[in-house]
Amino acid sequence: MAAAAAQGGRSGGGGGSGGAGGGPSGGTGSSRSGLLDKWKIDDKPVKIDKWDGSAVKNSLDDSAKKVLLEKYKYVENFGLIDGRLTICTISCFFAIVALIWDYMHPFPESKPVLALCVISYFVMMGILTIYTSYKEKSIFLVAHRKDPTGMDPDDIWQLSSSLKRFDDKYTLKLTFISGRTKQQREAEFTKSIAKFFDHSGTLVMDAYEPEISRLHDSLTTERKMK
Amino acid sequence: MLSLDFLDDVRRMNKRQLYYQVLNFGMIVSSALMIWKGLMVITGSESPIVVVLSGSMEPAFHRGDLLFLTNRVEDPIRVGEIVVFRIEGREIPIVHRVLKIHEKQNGHIKFLTKGDNNAVDDRGLYKQGQHWLEKKDVVGRARGFYQENISVEDRNYLFLILEL
Repeated sequence: MAAAAAQGGRSGGGGGSGGAGGGPSGGTGSSRSGLLDKWKIDDKPVKIDKWDGSAVKNSLDDSAKKVLLEKYKYVENFGLIDGRLTICTISCFFAIVALIWDYMHPFPESKPVLALCVISYFVMMGILTIYTSYKEKSIFLVAHRKDPTGMDPDDIWQLSSSLKRFDDKYTLKLTFISGRTKQQREAEFTKSIAKFFDHSGTLVMDAYEPEISRLHDSLTTERKMK
Repeated sequence: MLSLDFLDDVRRMNKRQLYYQVLNFGMIVSSALMIWKGLMVITGSESPIVVVLSGSMEPAFHRGDLLFLTNRVEDPIRVGEIVVFRIEGREIPIVHRVLKIHEKQNGHIKFLTKGDNNAVDDRGLYKQGQHWLEKKDVVGRARGFYQENISVEDRNYLFLILEL
């Protein structure tokens, strides 16, 4: 129980750092310089401003991610996030092209190029909005469980959450998509954020982590029964 | 290492999240830039919104008013219209009214301007040896304006602060 909590000096703690996004760089801290080790602070308890709704949601999301990735050793899939990053990068690229072209060829000559860039930029904005609303849908983690036998395709776990503005009820939804049967099952809980944070704004993993485990186990046991 | 608690959020981020934060900032800047460039394309003017800097057009425009300009080829400049123009070699555009126009058959014009609140026309402001302005000096024609109803003292005070 304590091992899963973000406390204590775990020697392998460096492996969990980088939000498991640095998976390829290995789990040992010795592969990085000492300065980088000091920079990453995954072992420190999360302390945020308890009145800031988005900070609260982000810390709860990140901790749920940590639990799933570290405790159950799933592998994070960055497809969704990479999609969003690519769309944003392309939009910024259009903006930079417009800026540089206009600087090199002063205004009246640059009109057609400018018009093209502006229209493309707003089209990309539209695509981004559609992408975040329909494809991403408040999902912040897609994790794969590699099949131990190596034969069947991976099972996919998805985490999505919502916390309304000025509301204290946090909803966390865990979706399980079986690799074999392509069936989808979900479980969620809605709790007040006051249950997970103490009065100073520190996230108490001892209270939060069991909730995540309970969600997870409720989906795995169903699978075993079937 | 110093205890930089306020950087905790940044330290907790992985590469992707950091890149996303940078992109977010870039998107905000890009949106503003694209809106400005879009306005430039739509109005045809290289500076679609300008601020009136002097009191030479009172009582119509006061210092600090915003002017919306267009510079379309199909709208000809006529006497009595308010134009924003740049004198060759000078950076700052001037907002005055058109007084006289000479127009050729092919549409080429030369015109003279004067500020409503000035005693003389702008020939004194033009370049040495220049007596008329041409289409190429024009930044745009004023199509609309926005004015804050504040007193003269407040206006002067604001301008003093802005120039500092």
